[in-house]
Amino acid sequence: MSNGKATTIKKVFSRQTSVRIDINADTAIVWALLTNASDFARWNSTIVFIKGNIALGEKIELKAKIDEKRTFKIKIKEFTPEKHMRWGDAMGNRDFTLTPNADGGLTFSMSEKIGGPIFPLFAGMLPSFDEAFEQYAADLKREAELIFNSKN
Amino acid sequence: MVENLKRCECRDFITLFAYLMQTIYMTTEQLSEEFEAFKGQLKSYILRITTSVQDTEDILQDTFIKAHERLETFKGDSSLKTWVFAIASNLAKDHLRSKKRWPENVTDICKEAALGNQEFFGEAMQIAQTSPQGQFEMKEHIAFCFTCVSKSLPLEQQIAVMLKEVYDFKVKEIAIIMDQTDAMIKYYLHTGRSKMIQVFDNRCSLINKEGVCHQCTELNGIFNPQQKAQEEIVKIEMAKQSESADKEHLFDLRMKVLKEIDPFDSGAAELQLHHLEHNRQVMEKYLKENS
Repeated sequence: MSNGKATTIKKVFSRQTSVRIDINADTAIVWALLTNASDFARWNSTIVFIKGNIALGEKIELKAKIDEKRTFKIKIKEFTPEKHMRWGDAMGNRDFTLTPNADGGLTFSMSEKIGGPIFPLFAGMLPSFDEAFEQYAADLKREAELIFNSKN
Repeated sequence: MVENLKRCECRDFITLFAYLMQTIYMTTEQLSEEFEAFKGQLKSYILRITTSVQDTEDILQDTFIKAHERLETFKGDSSLKTWVFAIASNLAKDHLRSKKRWPENVTDICKEAALGNQEFFGEAMQIAQTSPQGQFEMKEHIAFCFTCVSKSLPLEQQIAVMLKEVYDFKVKEIAIIMDQTDAMIKYYLHTGRSKMIQVFDNRCSLINKEGVCHQCTELNGIFNPQQKAQEEIVKIEMAKQSESADKEHLFDLRMKVLKEIDPFDSGAAELQLHHLEHNRQVMEKYLKENS
Protein backbone atom coordinates (compact mmCIF):
# COMPACT_ATOMS: atom_id res chain seq x y z
CA MET A 1 0.00 0.00 0.00
CA SER A 2 1.37 3.42 -0.98
CA ASN A 3 -1.20 5.50 0.88
CA GLY A 4 1.08 7.06 3.45
CA LYS A 5 -0.22 4.91 6.30
CA ALA A 6 2.45 3.46 8.57
CA THR A 7 2.50 -0.14 9.69
CA THR A 8 4.49 -1.69 12.52
CA ILE A 9 5.46 -5.32 12.93
CA LYS A 10 6.45 -6.21 16.47
CA LYS A 11 8.51 -9.28 17.30
CA VAL A 12 10.25 -10.39 20.49
CA PHE A 13 13.68 -9.17 19.40
CA SER A 14 12.77 -6.44 16.90
CA ARG A 15 10.27 -3.88 15.76
CA GLN A 16 9.87 -2.64 12.19
CA THR A 17 7.88 0.42 11.13
CA SER A 18 7.28 1.14 7.44
CA VAL A 19 5.50 3.71 5.31
CA ARG A 20 5.00 4.09 1.55
CA ILE A 21 3.61 7.01 -0.37
CA ASP A 22 3.22 7.92 -4.04
CA ILE A 23 4.78 11.24 -5.01
CA ASN A 24 4.08 13.06 -8.28
CA ALA A 25 7.49 14.66 -8.68
CA ASP A 26 10.88 14.11 -10.22
CA THR A 27 13.09 11.62 -8.40
CA ALA A 28 15.94 14.14 -8.35
CA ILE A 29 13.87 16.58 -6.31
CA VAL A 30 12.91 13.95 -3.73
CA TRP A 31 16.50 12.75 -3.46
CA ALA A 32 17.76 16.31 -3.07
CA LEU A 33 15.29 16.90 -0.25
CA LEU A 34 16.34 13.67 1.48
CA THR A 35 20.05 14.42 1.28
CA ASN A 36 20.27 18.15 2.10
CA ALA A 37 20.85 18.00 5.84
CA SER A 38 20.77 21.73 6.58
CA ASP A 39 17.42 22.20 4.80
CA PHE A 40 15.61 19.28 6.46
CA ALA A 41 13.94 21.10 9.33
CA ARG A 42 12.44 23.66 6.95
CA TRP A 43 10.14 21.16 5.23
CA ASN A 44 10.09 18.15 7.54
CA SER A 45 8.02 18.82 10.66
CA THR A 46 9.26 15.67 12.40
CA ILE A 47 12.90 16.83 12.45
CA VAL A 48 14.43 19.44 14.76
CA PHE A 49 17.78 19.39 12.97
CA ILE A 50 20.21 17.26 11.05
CA LYS A 51 23.87 18.22 11.20
CA GLY A 52 26.53 16.86 8.88
CA ASN A 53 26.79 15.66 5.33
CA ILE A 54 24.36 13.03 4.12
CA ALA A 55 26.73 11.00 1.96
CA LEU A 56 28.16 7.49 2.02
CA GLY A 57 30.29 6.77 5.09
CA GLU A 58 29.52 10.10 6.75
CA LYS A 59 28.23 10.47 10.29
CA ILE A 60 25.35 12.81 11.00
CA GLU A 61 23.64 14.09 14.13
CA LEU A 62 19.86 14.04 14.18
CA LYS A 63 17.34 15.40 16.63
CA ALA A 64 13.71 14.41 16.06
CA LYS A 65 10.51 15.88 17.50
CA ILE A 66 9.52 12.47 18.81
CA ASP A 67 12.35 12.63 21.38
CA GLU A 68 13.86 16.10 21.54
CA LYS A 69 16.04 15.21 24.52
CA ARG A 70 18.20 12.88 22.48
CA THR A 71 20.61 13.54 19.66
CA PHE A 72 21.08 10.44 17.51
CA LYS A 73 24.49 9.81 16.00
CA ILE A 74 23.91 7.98 12.77
CA LYS A 75 26.10 6.64 10.00
CA ILE A 76 25.17 6.66 6.33
CA LYS A 77 25.79 3.00 5.54
CA GLU A 78 24.47 2.68 1.98
CA PHE A 79 23.96 5.37 -0.62
CA THR A 80 22.82 4.83 -4.19
CA PRO A 81 21.75 8.24 -5.57
CA GLU A 82 18.08 8.59 -6.42
CA LYS A 83 17.43 4.95 -5.47
CA HIS A 84 18.27 3.87 -1.96
CA MET A 85 19.91 5.01 1.24
CA ARG A 86 20.45 3.30 4.61
CA TRP A 87 21.15 5.14 7.85
CA GLY A 88 21.86 3.35 11.05
CA ASP A 89 23.41 2.97 14.47
CA ALA A 90 24.03 0.03 16.79
CA MET A 91 20.32 -0.40 17.48
CA GLY A 92 18.99 -0.49 13.97
CA ASN A 93 18.74 0.76 10.42
CA ARG A 94 16.46 3.05 8.48
CA ASP A 95 16.04 2.43 4.75
CA PHE A 96 14.84 5.01 2.23
CA THR A 97 13.88 3.73 -1.21
CA LEU A 98 12.64 5.57 -4.29
CA THR A 99 10.91 3.44 -6.92
CA PRO A 100 9.92 5.06 -10.22
CA ASN A 101 6.28 4.64 -11.25
CA ALA A 102 4.91 4.22 -14.75
CA ASP A 103 3.13 7.59 -14.57
CA GLY A 104 6.41 9.48 -14.17
CA GLY A 105 6.18 9.84 -10.41
CA LEU A 106 7.66 7.58 -7.78
CA THR A 107 6.91 5.65 -4.63
CA PHE A 108 8.79 6.68 -1.53
CA SER A 109 9.34 3.93 1.04
CA MET A 110 10.82 4.35 4.48
CA SER A 111 11.37 1.50 6.88
CA GLU A 112 13.13 1.30 10.22
CA LYS A 113 14.02 -1.88 12.01
CA ILE A 114 15.23 -1.74 15.60
CA GLY A 115 16.33 -4.85 17.37
CA GLY A 116 18.92 -7.10 18.90
CA PRO A 117 19.40 -9.45 21.86
CA ILE A 118 18.63 -6.78 24.47
CA PHE A 119 15.68 -5.30 22.56
CA PRO A 120 13.07 -6.86 24.91
CA LEU A 121 14.60 -4.90 27.82
CA PHE A 122 13.76 -1.48 26.34
CA ALA A 123 11.00 -2.27 23.86
CA GLY A 124 8.38 -1.00 26.26
CA MET A 125 10.07 2.39 26.56
CA LEU A 126 10.11 3.06 22.81
CA PRO A 127 7.38 5.37 21.54
CA SER A 128 5.39 4.39 18.46
CA PHE A 129 6.91 5.69 15.23
CA ASP A 130 3.71 5.37 13.19
CA GLU A 131 2.52 8.95 13.46
CA ALA A 132 6.00 10.43 12.85
CA PHE A 133 6.51 8.18 9.80
CA GLU A 134 3.18 9.21 8.32
CA GLN A 135 3.99 12.87 8.89
CA TYR A 136 7.46 12.43 7.39
CA ALA A 137 6.03 10.88 4.22
CA ALA A 138 3.28 13.50 3.97
CA ASP A 139 5.76 16.37 4.41
CA LEU A 140 8.06 14.94 1.76
CA LYS A 141 5.19 14.48 -0.70
CA ARG A 142 3.88 18.01 -0.12
CA GLU A 143 7.29 19.67 -0.50
CA ALA A 144 8.42 17.63 -3.53
CA GLU A 145 5.15 18.19 -5.40
CA LEU A 146 5.19 21.90 -4.52
CA ILE A 147 8.66 22.24 -6.05
CA PHE A 148 7.86 20.04 -9.06
CA ASN A 149 4.73 22.03 -9.87
CA SER A 150 6.34 25.44 -9.31
CA LYS A 151 6.20 27.91 -12.18
CA ASN A 152 8.96 28.29 -14.73
CA MET B 1 15.56 29.14 -41.25
CA VAL B 2 13.56 27.65 -44.15
CA GLU B 3 11.76 30.92 -44.70
CA ASN B 4 15.05 32.77 -44.63
CA LEU B 5 16.47 30.36 -47.17
CA LYS B 6 13.53 30.96 -49.49
CA ARG B 7 14.12 34.69 -49.26
CA CYS B 8 17.87 34.29 -49.74
CA GLU B 9 19.00 34.96 -53.26
CA CYS B 10 21.58 32.21 -53.31
CA ARG B 11 22.24 31.37 -56.91
CA ASP B 12 25.14 28.98 -56.41
CA PHE B 13 26.54 26.62 -53.77
CA ILE B 14 29.25 28.99 -52.53
CA THR B 15 26.91 31.87 -51.78
CA LEU B 16 24.44 29.42 -50.24
CA PHE B 17 27.21 27.95 -48.07
CA ALA B 18 28.38 31.43 -47.05
CA TYR B 19 24.84 32.40 -46.20
CA LEU B 20 24.33 29.28 -44.08
CA MET B 21 27.62 29.77 -42.25
CA GLN B 22 26.69 33.35 -41.49
CA THR B 23 23.28 32.22 -40.27
CA ILE B 24 24.55 29.35 -38.14
CA TYR B 25 27.80 30.76 -36.83
CA MET B 26 28.09 34.06 -35.11
CA THR B 27 30.93 36.34 -36.10
CA THR B 28 33.38 37.88 -33.65
CA GLU B 29 31.87 41.28 -34.36
CA GLN B 30 28.40 40.00 -33.56
CA LEU B 31 29.69 38.46 -30.35
CA SER B 32 31.35 41.73 -29.32
CA GLU B 33 28.24 43.70 -30.11
CA GLU B 34 25.86 41.40 -28.23
CA PHE B 35 28.31 40.93 -25.34
CA GLU B 36 28.48 44.68 -24.91
CA ALA B 37 24.68 44.84 -24.65
CA PHE B 38 24.51 42.52 -21.60
CA LYS B 39 28.00 43.12 -20.20
CA GLY B 40 26.69 45.33 -17.38
CA GLN B 41 24.29 42.64 -16.18
CA LEU B 42 26.95 39.95 -16.49
CA LYS B 43 29.43 42.02 -14.52
CA SER B 44 27.00 42.72 -11.68
CA TYR B 45 26.01 39.03 -11.64
CA ILE B 46 29.63 37.91 -11.25
CA LEU B 47 30.20 40.49 -8.52
CA ARG B 48 27.13 39.31 -6.62
CA ILE B 49 28.41 35.73 -6.78
CA THR B 50 32.09 36.42 -6.02
CA THR B 51 31.83 39.65 -3.93
CA SER B 52 35.22 40.66 -5.33
CA VAL B 53 35.74 43.46 -7.84
CA GLN B 54 39.12 42.04 -8.88
CA ASP B 55 37.72 38.54 -9.40
CA THR B 56 34.79 40.03 -11.29
CA GLU B 57 37.08 41.86 -13.70
CA ASP B 58 39.17 38.70 -14.22
CA ILE B 59 36.18 36.40 -14.75
CA LEU B 60 34.50 38.90 -17.06
CA GLN B 61 37.61 39.08 -19.22
CA ASP B 62 38.09 35.30 -19.19
CA THR B 63 34.44 34.85 -20.11
CA PHE B 64 34.83 37.01 -23.22
CA ILE B 65 38.05 35.23 -24.21
CA LYS B 66 36.46 31.79 -23.74
CA ALA B 67 33.34 32.84 -25.63
CA HIS B 68 35.52 34.08 -28.47
CA GLU B 69 37.60 30.90 -28.51
CA ARG B 70 34.53 28.66 -28.49
CA LEU B 71 32.37 30.75 -30.76
CA GLU B 72 32.22 27.94 -33.31
CA THR B 73 30.54 25.70 -30.77
CA PHE B 74 27.68 28.17 -30.27
CA LYS B 75 24.87 26.74 -32.38
CA GLY B 76 22.09 29.02 -31.27
CA ASP B 77 20.39 26.33 -29.15
CA SER B 78 20.02 29.05 -26.52
CA SER B 79 20.41 32.81 -26.69
CA LEU B 80 23.97 34.09 -26.79
CA LYS B 81 23.33 35.74 -23.43
CA THR B 82 22.41 32.39 -21.86
CA TRP B 83 25.46 30.75 -23.43
CA VAL B 84 27.81 33.46 -22.17
CA PHE B 85 26.26 33.42 -18.68
CA ALA B 86 26.94 29.66 -18.64
CA ILE B 87 30.63 30.28 -19.38
CA ALA B 88 30.82 32.96 -16.69
CA SER B 89 28.98 30.79 -14.16
CA ASN B 90 31.38 27.90 -14.71
CA LEU B 91 34.37 30.18 -14.27
CA ALA B 92 32.87 31.64 -11.10
CA LYS B 93 32.06 28.17 -9.76
CA ASP B 94 35.61 26.96 -10.46
CA HIS B 95 36.93 30.02 -8.65
CA LEU B 96 34.65 29.57 -5.62
CA ARG B 97 34.73 25.78 -5.35
CA SER B 98 37.39 25.66 -2.65
CA LYS B 99 36.03 28.66 -0.74
CA LYS B 100 33.70 28.21 2.21
CA ARG B 101 30.21 29.66 2.22
CA TRP B 102 29.45 32.58 4.50
CA PRO B 103 27.27 32.33 7.64
CA GLU B 104 23.76 33.84 7.75
CA ASN B 105 24.87 36.44 10.30
CA VAL B 106 27.63 37.74 8.03
CA THR B 107 26.50 41.32 8.59
CA ASP B 108 26.83 40.99 12.38
CA ILE B 109 30.36 39.59 12.09
CA CYS B 110 31.42 42.27 9.62
CA LYS B 111 29.84 45.04 11.68
CA GLU B 112 31.82 43.91 14.71
CA ALA B 113 35.01 43.96 12.65
CA ALA B 114 34.20 47.38 11.16
CA LEU B 115 33.59 48.93 14.57
CA GLY B 116 37.14 48.06 15.52
CA ASN B 117 38.59 49.33 12.27
CA GLN B 118 39.13 53.10 12.25
CA GLU B 119 40.81 52.92 8.87
CA PHE B 120 37.72 51.41 7.25
CA PHE B 121 35.45 54.17 8.55
CA GLY B 122 37.98 56.85 7.61
CA GLU B 123 38.13 55.59 4.03
CA ALA B 124 34.36 55.25 3.84
CA MET B 125 33.82 58.83 5.06
CA GLN B 126 36.41 60.06 2.57
CA ILE B 127 34.54 58.30 -0.26
CA ALA B 128 31.21 59.64 0.97
CA GLN B 129 32.56 63.20 1.02
CA THR B 130 34.53 63.22 -2.22
CA SER B 131 33.25 60.60 -4.64
CA PRO B 132 30.40 61.21 -7.11
CA GLN B 133 29.46 57.59 -6.33
CA GLY B 134 29.72 57.95 -2.57
CA GLN B 135 26.18 58.87 -1.61
CA PHE B 136 24.83 56.38 0.93
CA GLU B 137 21.34 55.18 0.05
CA MET B 138 19.25 52.64 1.94
CA LYS B 139 18.21 50.82 -1.24
CA GLU B 140 21.82 50.36 -2.28
CA HIS B 141 22.59 48.90 1.11
CA ILE B 142 19.62 46.52 0.85
CA ALA B 143 21.06 45.20 -2.42
CA PHE B 144 24.53 45.01 -0.88
CA CYS B 145 23.13 43.19 2.15
CA PHE B 146 21.41 40.57 -0.03
CA THR B 147 24.67 39.98 -1.90
CA CYS B 148 26.39 39.20 1.40
CA VAL B 149 23.62 37.15 3.00
CA SER B 150 22.91 35.10 -0.15
CA LYS B 151 26.43 33.75 0.15
CA SER B 152 25.13 31.66 3.05
CA LEU B 153 23.23 29.57 0.49
CA PRO B 154 24.93 26.62 -1.17
CA LEU B 155 26.56 28.02 -4.33
CA GLU B 156 24.14 26.28 -6.72
CA GLN B 157 21.16 27.76 -4.87
CA GLN B 158 22.71 31.23 -4.82
CA ILE B 159 23.42 31.12 -8.55
CA ALA B 160 19.92 29.84 -9.40
CA VAL B 161 18.23 32.46 -7.21
CA MET B 162 20.32 35.31 -8.66
CA LEU B 163 19.70 34.22 -12.25
CA LYS B 164 15.95 33.86 -11.78
CA GLU B 165 15.05 36.55 -9.30
CA VAL B 166 17.48 39.30 -10.29
CA TYR B 167 18.37 38.63 -13.93
CA ASP B 168 15.00 37.21 -15.07
CA PHE B 169 16.25 34.00 -16.65
CA LYS B 170 13.67 31.23 -17.13
CA VAL B 171 14.06 27.82 -15.44
CA LYS B 172 14.97 26.24 -18.80
CA GLU B 173 17.66 28.85 -19.42
CA ILE B 174 19.08 28.41 -15.91
CA ALA B 175 19.13 24.65 -16.53
CA ILE B 176 21.33 25.32 -19.59
CA ILE B 177 23.53 27.77 -17.69
CA MET B 178 24.03 25.36 -14.78
CA ASP B 179 23.97 22.17 -16.86
CA GLN B 180 21.25 20.70 -14.67
CA THR B 181 17.72 19.38 -15.19
CA ASP B 182 14.72 21.68 -14.92
CA ALA B 183 13.69 19.70 -11.83
CA MET B 184 16.96 20.39 -10.03
CA ILE B 185 16.78 24.08 -10.92
CA LYS B 186 13.28 24.19 -9.44
CA TYR B 187 14.70 22.55 -6.31
CA TYR B 188 17.55 25.06 -6.05
CA LEU B 189 15.18 27.96 -6.59
CA HIS B 190 12.60 26.78 -4.09
CA THR B 191 15.05 25.92 -1.34
CA GLY B 192 17.24 28.97 -1.93
CA ARG B 193 14.30 31.34 -2.01
CA SER B 194 12.67 29.73 1.06
CA LYS B 195 15.92 29.99 3.00
CA MET B 196 16.43 33.64 2.11
CA ILE B 197 12.83 34.49 3.04
CA GLN B 198 13.36 32.81 6.41
CA VAL B 199 16.72 34.49 7.07
CA PHE B 200 15.48 37.99 6.21
CA ASP B 201 12.24 37.47 8.09
CA ASN B 202 14.28 36.62 11.19
CA ARG B 203 16.86 39.34 10.77
CA CYS B 204 15.72 42.35 8.77
CA SER B 205 14.14 45.08 10.89
CA LEU B 206 12.77 46.73 7.74
CA ILE B 207 10.23 43.91 7.36
CA ASN B 208 10.06 42.57 10.91
CA LYS B 209 9.94 44.80 13.98
CA GLU B 210 11.62 42.01 15.93
CA GLY B 211 14.40 41.72 13.35
CA VAL B 212 17.87 41.90 14.88
CA CYS B 213 19.61 43.77 12.05
CA HIS B 214 19.25 47.55 11.71
CA GLN B 215 22.45 48.10 9.82
CA CYS B 216 21.03 50.02 6.87
CA THR B 217 19.29 52.45 9.24
CA GLU B 218 22.39 52.78 11.41
CA LEU B 219 24.65 53.47 8.43
CA ASN B 220 22.16 55.96 7.05
CA GLY B 221 22.40 57.78 10.38
CA ILE B 222 26.21 57.91 10.04
CA PHE B 223 26.43 58.95 6.39
CA ASN B 224 23.25 61.05 6.18
CA PRO B 225 22.89 62.57 9.69
CA GLN B 226 20.45 65.20 8.43
CA GLN B 227 17.96 62.61 7.23
CA LYS B 228 15.23 61.18 9.39
CA ALA B 229 15.50 57.40 9.25
CA GLN B 230 11.76 56.81 9.33
CA GLU B 231 11.21 59.10 6.34
CA GLU B 232 13.82 57.15 4.39
CA ILE B 233 12.39 53.78 5.38
CA VAL B 234 8.89 54.57 4.14
CA LYS B 235 10.36 55.33 0.71
CA ILE B 236 11.25 51.66 0.45
CA GLU B 237 8.31 49.68 -0.87
CA MET B 238 9.37 46.51 0.96
CA ALA B 239 9.39 48.34 4.30
CA LYS B 240 6.15 50.18 3.49
CA GLN B 241 4.34 46.90 2.83
CA SER B 242 6.00 44.99 5.66
CA GLU B 243 2.83 44.67 7.72
CA SER B 244 0.35 44.05 4.93
CA ALA B 245 2.21 41.88 2.42
CA ASP B 246 3.08 38.23 2.79
CA LYS B 247 6.69 37.03 3.07
CA GLU B 248 6.84 35.86 -0.54
CA HIS B 249 5.79 39.27 -1.82
CA LEU B 250 8.23 41.04 0.49
CA PHE B 251 10.99 38.89 -0.98
CA ASP B 252 9.86 39.83 -4.50
CA LEU B 253 10.08 43.49 -3.50
CA ARG B 254 13.59 42.92 -2.14
CA MET B 255 14.57 41.36 -5.47
CA LYS B 256 13.07 44.35 -7.27
CA VAL B 257 15.50 46.57 -5.36
CA LEU B 258 18.41 44.46 -6.63
CA LYS B 259 17.13 44.52 -10.21
CA GLU B 260 17.05 48.30 -10.19
CA ILE B 261 20.63 48.69 -8.96
CA ASP B 262 23.83 48.25 -10.92
CA PRO B 263 26.48 47.89 -8.20
CA PHE B 264 29.14 49.31 -10.55
CA ASP B 265 27.16 52.23 -11.84
CA SER B 266 24.98 53.71 -9.13
CA GLY B 267 25.04 56.73 -6.88
CA ALA B 268 26.61 54.72 -4.07
CA ALA B 269 28.73 52.33 -6.13
CA GLU B 270 32.13 53.32 -4.79
CA LEU B 271 30.95 53.41 -1.19
CA GLN B 272 29.19 50.04 -1.39
CA LEU B 273 32.06 48.37 -3.29
CA HIS B 274 34.45 49.59 -0.60
CA HIS B 275 32.13 48.11 2.04
CA LEU B 276 31.83 44.85 0.07
CA GLU B 277 35.60 44.48 -0.14
CA HIS B 278 35.78 45.03 3.61
CA ASN B 279 33.19 42.32 4.24
CA ARG B 280 34.91 39.91 1.85
CA GLN B 281 38.24 40.33 3.63
CA VAL B 282 36.62 40.01 7.06
CA MET B 283 34.80 36.83 6.01
CA GLU B 284 37.91 35.24 4.51
CA LYS B 285 39.76 35.85 7.77
CA TYR B 286 36.80 34.70 9.87
CA LEU B 287 36.33 31.49 7.89
CA LYS B 288 40.04 30.74 8.07
CA GLU B 289 40.10 31.24 11.83
CA ASN B 290 36.94 29.22 12.37
CA SER B 291 37.64 26.30 10.06
